[in-house]
Amino acid sequence: MPPEQPDGERLSDAVLRNSSRRGFLEWAGTAIIALAGARTVAKGVLPDEADAYTNFCGHTYTTGNCPHPTGLPRVDRHDYPLRASDGHPVDDLGRPVNAQGQPVDAHGQLLREPDGEPLAPAPRSKVCPAAGDDYGLDLRTDGSWYRCCGGRVRRMMDCCGKTSKRINGDEALVGYCYPGRHVFCVQYYETMVPC
Amino acid sequence: MLSGLAVCATITAAFAGVTGAWSPCGFSMVETIGSALGDARRGATLLASATFALGTLIGGVVTFGGLALLGQLIGGHSSWLREALGAALALAAAVADWRGLKLAPQIRRQVPERWRWTMPLPLACALYGILLGLGFTTFVLAFAVWALAGISFAAGDPLLGALVGVAFGAGRAAPVLWLAPGLRRGAGDGDGARRLDEMASEPRLLLGLRRLDALGLVFCALALGGASATASAKAASVAAATDPSASGGELVWQQLAGPGALLNAAGAVSALPGVHPALGGGLVAWASPTAVTVADATTLTPRLALPVTGVTALAVSSSWLVYRRQTAPDGAEQLIAVSLADPARQRRLASAKLPGQIGRPALDGARAVFALNTPRRSAIELVALASGRLRPLRVATRDAQFSNPSLMGGALLFERTTRCLQQLQLDVTTPRRGARERTLLRMRSTVSRDIGYEPGFEHAYNMGSVCGDQGAGGGGKTRLGPTALSGASVYVTEITGVGARIVSLRR
Repeated sequence: MPPEQPDGERLSDAVLRNSSRRGFLEWAGTAIIALAGARTVAKGVLPDEADAYTNFCGHTYTTGNCPHPTGLPRVDRHDYPLRASDGHPVDDLGRPVNAQGQPVDAHGQLLREPDGEPLAPAPRSKVCPAAGDDYGLDLRTDGSWYRCCGGRVRRMMDCCGKTSKRINGDEALVGYCYPGRHVFCVQYYETMVPC
Repeated sequence: MLSGLAVCATITAAFAGVTGAWSPCGFSMVETIGSALGDARRGATLLASATFALGTLIGGVVTFGGLALLGQLIGGHSSWLREALGAALALAAAVADWRGLKLAPQIRRQVPERWRWTMPLPLACALYGILLGLGFTTFVLAFAVWALAGISFAAGDPLLGALVGVAFGAGRAAPVLWLAPGLRRGAGDGDGARRLDEMASEPRLLLGLRRLDALGLVFCALALGGASATASAKAASVAAATDPSASGGELVWQQLAGPGALLNAAGAVSALPGVHPALGGGLVAWASPTAVTVADATTLTPRLALPVTGVTALAVSSSWLVYRRQTAPDGAEQLIAVSLADPARQRRLASAKLPGQIGRPALDGARAVFALNTPRRSAIELVALASGRLRPLRVATRDAQFSNPSLMGGALLFERTTRCLQQLQLDVTTPRRGARERTLLRMRSTVSRDIGYEPGFEHAYNMGSVCGDQGAGGGGKTRLGPTALSGASVYVTEITGVGARIVSLRR
């Protein structure tokens, strides 16, 4: 039965008004249910970040960080160390450096000795092979996995070698390493890709 | 040359060892070696005396040398505190020994008597000697023994510890060696027996020896306390200064806002007519905008004026001058050596496209040493200036930086910096068996570190991020800078923010 028409209102107007509101609500309700369902499904399938990741966003399982000059094992795409907080290149001593490897301050200016001479540079070495040198292993980055962290795609880089033990001291996992190799420690590279 | 502390500790140790003759074991040793053998077996007595003496020396070296080695291993960062505690312990023991106070805590143990019956006498005596030389395995007769243990540890000098051990062992053996051969009990007792009886019946002899121990300990305390106080006082004595250079009791440095300064052997400070001063071989060198001047260190009478511009560092010895100069506006630098006998004879030691890569040079006679640092390699290079032969003394291609070397005789002073630590190291230039690098100063890195995990995530298994000597957060405020080396002291620049000071440490 058609709805009762108010006095003086045109049928077309009433139809338009009613159908429009109801259509919107139906559409919105469906969307919310779908979203909630998707979230539920996603929650069931994907790990919750804070619970499932170890040490830093995107790192599943428990293999420890590769030794890094400033702590968190953030590296650039060539495996050289970056300061995790801002992505600034650092040398092996953890000092922010410019493109020539010279220590710089927060404004990019050369740091100097009291007599005015710039501070001496220090070695800047690739994090994964350096970890290998520390532990007497031949290590390199094999495969990777990518996850969305903090609005950007992050590349999880396994530092792999022919070792049965990982940096933790217990049995190493296969991870993303090539056949016959295992994960010794982990590091990550922050891409510029938004997500 | 032995330090005052080594001399007084060694003498005190000898007296402390002799004091041990009044212990139950001391008397027993004389009887064991000297009695029951008689003239017929005098050879056996002498052999037993020799093995006993050898044992006491070994035991003494093990105890006191070991404690000194332990003190050295613990490191030099808090050495002034250990020295102060060692001095306090020595003083307390001196008072107690002077007053003849009863030993407490006492070690109420004796050497095993059965060895005397079950072993050949020389072997038993050797073992007895070791036990008595160890010092703390049987009765202790003077507080000085405890104090000497503390002094050995506080000094952290294995040579001093070994000397104390040898002296203590010799002191323990001496009364036995003196008395035992003459010991013959029975009718017409020998000299040894009579003296042994006198020892046993005359306690004032023991008190007299303990008072000698006390006097020795007072001198040891003064030497230890003096060293500690000197190190603390000198630490603040050259403020607003960097780039030290030392030679023959004199010191020069660069003032932060001004010219170079010279502290002569008499303790007077004077300003130099230039910058980047250096000392060596009785000469002093400084730079001006247009020249480098080499002068007599005492009279400042110029010997040589070399027309060079852009000099940023200097080193001088009796035969060579080395300078670092900027060769291009972009900061490229060279390190040049000039013979003082023939200034036309010059040798380029190093070149770098970027400033800061060639460190400040140091000279010892005709040998130059400097740091060469790039993002690929950190090294301390030694150059024999006569031949031009270059030899790396320390090299790191990752994880560490070597810097600020100084050279004197066979000793090399330098700094090693890692992501966790800054260390001031003293070693020999040519490694030899048994030589060991010493850490004179140890500080945390100045670099800030994160916590090794992102907030909100699990934070297990990140030991690779851990820096044992430095937790998360800002690093230390002080950075180690240029060094200098003299016969008795090392000098290091401590840089804090925009300030700097030169600190003196005992070698």
